[in-house]
Amino acid sequence: MTETLIRPLEVDPPRRDAPPRSRRRGEPGRSWRLHLPLALYLLFTLVPFYWMVVFAFRPTGSTALVPWPITFEHFDTVWNGLGFGVFFTNSLLVAVGTLGVVSVLALMGGYALARFRFRGQRVFLLALLCTQFIPGAMMLIPLFVIFKNAGLLNSLTGLVVADTAFQLPLALILMSGFVRNIPVELEEAAMVDGCTRLRAFFAITLPLLRPALVAVGSFAFIGAWNNFLFALMFAGRQDKFTLPVGLSYALGEFNTDFGALAAGGVVAAVPVVLVFAVVQRFLVQGLSAGAVKG
Amino acid sequence: MGFRRAVAVVLALGLALAGCSDAGDGGGGNATITFWDNNGGPGRTPIYEELIKRFEAANPTIKVEYVGVPSASVQQKYDTAIAGGSVPDVGGVTTSYLANLVGQDALEPLDDRIDSGPLKGKLLPGLVETVRQTAPDNKLYSAPSSGNLDVIWYRKDWFEAANLTPPTTWDELVDRAVKLTDPARNRYGYTIRGGAGSIFQLLTETYAYSGVEKFFEGTTSTVASSGNADLVRKVAELYKKATPEADVNNNYTQMVAQFTGGSVAMMHHNLGSYSDVTKALGTDKVGAISLPVGPSGKKTVVPNPTDGFAVFKGSKNTDAAWKFVEFLVSAESNSYWNEKVGQIPANTDVRSEKWIEANQPVRMALGVLEDPATKLVPAPVYLPQYSSITKTDSEPAYQKVLLGQLSAQEFLTGLADKLSAAQKEWEERR
Repeated sequence: MTETLIRPLEVDPPRRDAPPRSRRRGEPGRSWRLHLPLALYLLFTLVPFYWMVVFAFRPTGSTALVPWPITFEHFDTVWNGLGFGVFFTNSLLVAVGTLGVVSVLALMGGYALARFRFRGQRVFLLALLCTQFIPGAMMLIPLFVIFKNAGLLNSLTGLVVADTAFQLPLALILMSGFVRNIPVELEEAAMVDGCTRLRAFFAITLPLLRPALVAVGSFAFIGAWNNFLFALMFAGRQDKFTLPVGLSYALGEFNTDFGALAAGGVVAAVPVVLVFAVVQRFLVQGLSAGAVKG
Repeated sequence: MGFRRAVAVVLALGLALAGCSDAGDGGGGNATITFWDNNGGPGRTPIYEELIKRFEAANPTIKVEYVGVPSASVQQKYDTAIAGGSVPDVGGVTTSYLANLVGQDALEPLDDRIDSGPLKGKLLPGLVETVRQTAPDNKLYSAPSSGNLDVIWYRKDWFEAANLTPPTTWDELVDRAVKLTDPARNRYGYTIRGGAGSIFQLLTETYAYSGVEKFFEGTTSTVASSGNADLVRKVAELYKKATPEADVNNNYTQMVAQFTGGSVAMMHHNLGSYSDVTKALGTDKVGAISLPVGPSGKKTVVPNPTDGFAVFKGSKNTDAAWKFVEFLVSAESNSYWNEKVGQIPANTDVRSEKWIEANQPVRMALGVLEDPATKLVPAPVYLPQYSSITKTDSEPAYQKVLLGQLSAQEFLTGLADKLSAAQKEWEERR
């Protein structure tokens, strides 16, 4: 008996610094239950990326599962042959332009919707929501005619305007939710200390809206970056097309250049992945901030 | 502070970009015409760029602006441009949507221009006829540039290794397909297009087999004839026996991927696959044969949509536009273009070119089209409902046939009834 009591005491001291027993025992099971579905989901998500990378870097006709011997011929095809250099620049200009305009307008509109009471506010919010139900293709011909009369066809400015028009309603709704979550008392305190409303907004509210701006800006950027329909329809010149149009070149009427399609996919996906990698911290924060109101 | 500055920079940049105006028309020449390529992409854009360079060198007063339109969206792009009143001067068109453009009164008839210029009598009559038949008034709204033909692409090396000859009849095709199938080695004798675009291919097969020489008797479609139904049954019997199981969902990209990936011995597609299959497998390993015939021995061909160039009515420079079309269809340009893409040149002066002798698929296809025994049976692509009937309505029904849930005869009768009704309506409107 004595022996059995002493032995655990001898072993116990080093264990004291370790986490509680029950937790240690529970970890392997929990870890397995958590990580297996996550690993499967990750596999499901990453297989298309793997496919894209393999096709982009392996020679035409190869069936190897790894891109070896590695080739850059498909990148040469898309960049020099298809003019992806121009498309990439156009996409970047349109996406950054849309991001900028949407962010400014969403900030101003969202602030007004959250902080002021005015006649027709609820109807306005409802109307904003309803615009989300209208597919872009339905608006194509009316928009085409308007843009033609306004001289906005064949220009990147026109694409920024079109993308902004379609991104703004959601951005306004999101932004008003974010602004509403910031206690108005903070601004009031600043105004008591002598700030104007504008100064209070810039000094107090804007820094707190950082995650919101990142979330709204990301949506606007990605929406504009991926927009195929407007880019194809409103541009009548080759040098005004954007990346999604360039990508669809690889799918011909009778033949498909999978190598060029995959290489184009890599070129189109990398900036978005990088943007997400940089802003995902703010994005998650922003999304959750917008989701919980109270 | 840093964040606020960053926000200010991004917003300023965004506003500046949004506000910046784009450069206007480059100008340069006396006339600038816009040309929309209806199948822009890595294979064809460089060929047009070269031809435009040659045209501009020969016609320094005309500048051509090239716009490559992805083929999947070209119809929508044309429709939007016509509705919005902002059409190109010249556009690449195929007979599959030519009727739609003519119906919107968007194109100039080209008969007089062709008859009064160097192209008179120089275009393949079969292709000219398919373009004419597309228009309700029988006028030529597009100058045909390339013909296409459905063919069976086959692996020469596999046939040689198995000591087999390429099939000339459908029964031989079935026989070869079964013999070349070895699922253990992931090899199949044939691949069926069971998914998107299946019906046009099936129609070419059925008429090649049955030898029925007209698509309509009066306004009644011949699609449901017993010979056609026999062929559909034969193809359905091949499914899974000599084809991959996934074929029921195949569109052309998947078929081509299977063939070029080395898992299929024979693939029915058209000459458009030339660059894909020869690039991936090499001309020594792959060959093309015409669609096999049936018991009647007759050579009946449902021609593929014909490619051509149209001049748009909204053009402010129709003369310059026509000059460009004339240049594209001239013997030299037509030869250059078709040699590069592996299709049948519409200009008859190209026939004597050396490259045609060396290009077995094109030589074979030209032989079929020029054979006096060949009967052309054009599909009614001019019907406004053609696309919905052959795609939305019939593709799922054909999949049921492949899966054994619908008989070949029932499927074809349903298809024929819809085509007959549409043809009757078309005739009445005419």
